[in-house]
Amino acid sequence: MKISKVRILIFFAFAAVLCGLPLMKVSAQDNPITDQQIQRIKDNCLSTKSTLNQLHASDGLLRVNRGQIYESMSTMLMDGFNHRLSNNKLDNNNLVAITNSYDSTLDVFRSNYKTYEEHLSSAIGIDCLKQPVSFFDALSVASADRTRVHDVIIKLNQYVDQYQAAVSQFEKDYQGSSAGTNN
Amino acid sequence: MTDQTEESTIDNRTFRDKHSFLLFITISILISCFVVFVSMTLYNGSGAAQLDLSRPGYVSVRSQAVTNDGDFKDYPSTGGISKDVINDFISLYTKQAQKVKAVDAFGGSPLDPDGLGIGALPSVTNR
Repeated sequence: MKISKVRILIFFAFAAVLCGLPLMKVSAQDNPITDQQIQRIKDNCLSTKSTLNQLHASDGLLRVNRGQIYESMSTMLMDGFNHRLSNNKLDNNNLVAITNSYDSTLDVFRSNYKTYEEHLSSAIGIDCLKQPVSFFDALSVASADRTRVHDVIIKLNQYVDQYQAAVSQFEKDYQGSSAGTNN
Repeated sequence: MTDQTEESTIDNRTFRDKHSFLLFITISILISCFVVFVSMTLYNGSGAAQLDLSRPGYVSVRSQAVTNDGDFKDYPSTGGISKDVINDFISLYTKQAQKVKAVDAFGGSPLDPDGLGIGALPSVTNR
């Protein structure tokens, strides 16, 4: 069981690289903000907190109302039509595939919004007078989370369009096959 | 003789016998704490907390929540398929799709530090 020195050196080098990666990531995230900005955060602390509280409430309402609409698109329309085609033994594979993608994206939306709300809440919870830098960092994270939620919304809208196009295509195919059968 | 027997019975009572009511209350409180912990974990972990507009921060918007969108009809999964049926579905779907896309939800940049008056905010990806 003799391990050569070269192997030990390689092991330590590999371990050092592995340990260093997270540190590099942390240092990349540590973007120092200027003293001027810190002062600005302190000066506008109350108004910023008020704006964030309003945003938190309005986004909560948006999540509930939009979430219902997105949910209904799948459960009340897409699923119903897909099952109807299936019951009539018609090919609905394309529509089912789009519905599945839509449902998966809806799950991502729920998860992303949850993360965003948690981060925004924690940012609101930070005392910007005493911890302006932490407040600023928490706000940056919440902002990035909000962008991610918006990206998912765009994807959902794309799936809504795709489904609409697929139904139109199905209609054309159905008309074609009906005409063929009648002839 | 009877008094002696009674005395020895009293002496032999365990801690549990002496404080049974106190133990009952303590165990009940511990169980309720555990159940509350489990339910709060589920409430926060499942995402239900984010949908709960009865929380204190949502008082101002609570009344604006849509409780019943009558426009959305549950499309029947039974019945035949014809050109008219497909067209009806398309018109129903198009109407709802327009509603979905009418709002640019979570768009814009309300968390932009310049807008909040706290200076330039570098994006996280660039940091």
